[in-house]
Amino acid sequence: MAPISVGDSLPDGQLGWFDENDQLQQVSIHSLAAGKKVILFGVPGAFTPTCSNQHVPGFITQAEQLKAKGVDEILLISVNDPFVMKAWAKTYPENKHVKFLADGVGTYTKALGLELDLTEKGLGVRSRRFALLADNLKVTVANIEEGGQFTISGAEEILKAL
Amino acid sequence: MASVLARRARGSAAAALWGAARGFASVGSDIVSAAPGVSLQKARSWDEGVATKFSTTPLKDIFHGKKVVIFGLPGAYTGVCSQAHVPSYKNNIDKLKAKGIDSVICVAVNDPYVLKGWAEKLQAKDAIEFYGDFDGSFHKSLDLEIDLSAALLGRRSHRWSAFVDNGKIKAFNVEKAPSEFKVSGAEVILDQI
Repeated sequence: MAPISVGDSLPDGQLGWFDENDQLQQVSIHSLAAGKKVILFGVPGAFTPTCSNQHVPGFITQAEQLKAKGVDEILLISVNDPFVMKAWAKTYPENKHVKFLADGVGTYTKALGLELDLTEKGLGVRSRRFALLADNLKVTVANIEEGGQFTISGAEEILKAL
Repeated sequence: MASVLARRARGSAAAALWGAARGFASVGSDIVSAAPGVSLQKARSWDEGVATKFSTTPLKDIFHGKKVVIFGLPGAYTGVCSQAHVPSYKNNIDKLKAKGIDSVICVAVNDPYVLKGWAEKLQAKDAIEFYGDFDGSFHKSLDLEIDLSAALLGRRSHRWSAFVDNGKIKAFNVEKAPSEFKVSGAEVILDQI
């Protein structure tokens, strides 16, 4: 699958999520994104440094500005199970808007064409680092990193594009 | 699942023979030979991973010449694993060491970075060594794999425990269902050492 790019339609898929009432749910991307402006950003792994210390905090701290510019949802996905995502989300008590979604076995990441083999680093097949902006399911911004860098996939780049 | 129950229903001698022939784990079999070429990843931070070039630990380094109590569970940060299984070993560590156990090991199909975060949260890093079987190959070799996709976990491990002396399995306990916690705790294995 070629990586998703500007002009493509966001595919649908089921992701795991512990909601506000701590209930384990399967949510469909389309149900969260249809008719709305959403940011979907992805990271290689929960509890790893760049993801935890730079990428995620950027979206958490900029969430209000992003919402002020018309973003309805900020969705984080990672190839981790929902229990791990829930525990990771808890390490950000200040988070109000970012939803931590679990792509347990990487099905949705593969549908986006964004899988990355990190077997050598003990992680298995994960996701590339990326940030997408989609308007009613149409991708308008696609910032996808090469390797594990953190250069274009942060919140600031999306803010500039809004 | 059925094969695990069938194996336990036979006498332990017959089970050991069958286990040895199939390469699966059972009392009397050698855990290192049952999983040839398999290694585990010690729970670590990313920086430690980089510094060690993401090295893995071969099973023989973990088991040869040592008395080891090892227990496996479905997943870090999940209910029974966090609230009952790990604490059972953490709270009995002195008793286990008093019986001559060199290492107490917890293994799960998780990556080593998630495991480090979890071990620190449970404050169990000093008592227990956490290892990740990140691609499930260790558990698959021991026929301890179970599909927990219904719980959104994918391929994971049964809940189990074993006492392994210089690589030989002396005691081996597997729960009938991963949500149960009856035979795989520290109290049971303390009696089996």
